Amino acid sequence: MPEAAQQENAANAVPETPIVAMRGLTKRYGSIEALSDIDFHISAGEAVGLLGDNGAGKSTLIKILSGIVPHTSGTILYEGKPTRIRSRNDSTAMGIETIYQDIALVDDMNIMRNIFLGREETNALGFMRSRSMRKKAMEVLEHTVGISGITSPEQIVRGLSGGQKQAVALARAVYFKNRILLFDEPTSALSVRETDKTLDYIVQLKGEGISSVLVTHNIYDAYRVADRFVVLSHGRKVLEVDKAQTDVEELTRFVVSH
Amino acid sequence: MSALRVVLRLKAANILLVFVAVQVVCIVMGLCFPRSFPYLSLNHVQLLLKSMAPLAILSIGVGILMISGEFDLSVGSNCALSAYIMAMTYNDGKGIPLLVAIALALLCGGAIGLFNGVITTRAKIPSFIVTLGGLMIWRGVLLFVSGTATASFETGKFAGAVFTGSWNVVQAQFVWAVLIGIGAHMLLEKHRLGNHMFSVGGNQDAARAIGVKTDAVKTKAFIICGMLAAFSGIISSARVNSVSPELGKNMELQAIAACVVGGLSLMGGVGSILGILLGAALLATIRDVLTMVRAPGLYLDLFVGVLIIVAVIFNRITRNKDV
Repeated sequence: MPEAAQQENAANAVPETPIVAMRGLTKRYGSIEALSDIDFHISAGEAVGLLGDNGAGKSTLIKILSGIVPHTSGTILYEGKPTRIRSRNDSTAMGIETIYQDIALVDDMNIMRNIFLGREETNALGFMRSRSMRKKAMEVLEHTVGISGITSPEQIVRGLSGGQKQAVALARAVYFKNRILLFDEPTSALSVRETDKTLDYIVQLKGEGISSVLVTHNIYDAYRVADRFVVLSHGRKVLEVDKAQTDVEELTRFVVSH
Repeated sequence: MSALRVVLRLKAANILLVFVAVQVVCIVMGLCFPRSFPYLSLNHVQLLLKSMAPLAILSIGVGILMISGEFDLSVGSNCALSAYIMAMTYNDGKGIPLLVAIALALLCGGAIGLFNGVITTRAKIPSFIVTLGGLMIWRGVLLFVSGTATASFETGKFAGAVFTGSWNVVQAQFVWAVLIGIGAHMLLEKHRLGNHMFSVGGNQDAARAIGVKTDAVKTKAFIICGMLAAFSGIISSARVNSVSPELGKNMELQAIAACVVGGLSLMGGVGSILGILLGAALLATIRDVLTMVRAPGLYLDLFVGVLIIVAVIFNRITRNKDV
């Protein structure tokens, strides 16, 4: 299928108003254009694979969505209405949570404190309600993530494996009722078995209506869980295609040759 | 048995054991040689408790900041300048009321902390450099203002009792240090701000990504550190009823030493108030014992120097074992 037709096809497949949509989004760092005229959207309950080589602009797009860097021009729509994502607070309010490749946990703090970091339950004076947070951390670890080897929310993160850390980061993202999870290279630090579990979990979340954007080098990983793929190259979108209309070979070709 | 386990699970277990061992040795020596080594005499116990308080308070401030991932080398100069401002404005009862003068001194200490914090976070200059500058600047300001003269003052009965009171073994200064320690412990372990301090010191990028306002957290830590430096200056000058322009010299290094001995990481994100207090108490005890046996001053430096290195190695080993 020719490229233009594929893109049109994917665009027609938008079922309803996406949760978040970007229209003609551009990001410049000085004279360098990291993203040029990008259209991108995420709808409820879908997993999007965001692919591309190093420097393609994937991370920039994620950073804009999570409010860490502002975009230069273009529009962001939240539930169809124009909005701006100026800070982490804005993205949090939209239910967007990022799970970083270097796993943004504080190693010397315990699991509970990591899960509630920045969103501590406190009394009016700012003192933390440790008992309540401990109970909730325990629940979310047991029921939502269920990765073995985590016995207590008071375990220090430093001692956990890559997969367990990922589980804690996921627990944090899920507990706070996010609608869109942005995964930045989620499997690069994980063992094969842990990768498996994480990908399964993304599929499970999809069933619960939580959308994911999977940024990865690993096209096989993305192909396993994503419903739609967007390939970036040098800051431009070179392909947007539904899973049914593509395969790993074609995706690889677009990532490699553009 | 289970009590021992509780102790060993403390973040400050290492330093606690060392501290207890040193105390046991000193007490046994005091019992065996009460004349030549009067460690247990009331006089000496009072002196020891009094003398460790200023260092302990200073170390708590430096420690809170170290846990947040920054240094303050200007605390010694800060404590002298702030105390001098108190003595100068109070002017032995002829100036402003003592309480206002104390508030002014605390404000001065906090302002120096704010200055350090703003320069460090806004100009993105390492706090080590900023506060090294501060160390010289504030001492220079003090020498300029004081004309190198010592400022004497009489606090009066009430303030005297509050800051230097002595009832048998209970020493007001020591009580202050303990109260501040409890407050600092509550802040670090129970309060949201303390949680943010550990996160900023432990992994600044992660903390920022999750939405912690890292610059604000650090600046608050700098202000707390500055105010505690001022308070340390106030109580140590209240003890001798005077502020010497030499007050607090080298105290910044002793405070960092106390923190390191107490199990804090120079990289930030690790440590406890109990550790800091024990570290300060240990340094004060060693200083005191060496004085008591009339050892020349160089032994103190030597001893403390070795202690710091051993403590860091020890902490590294035991911390890796936990992993």
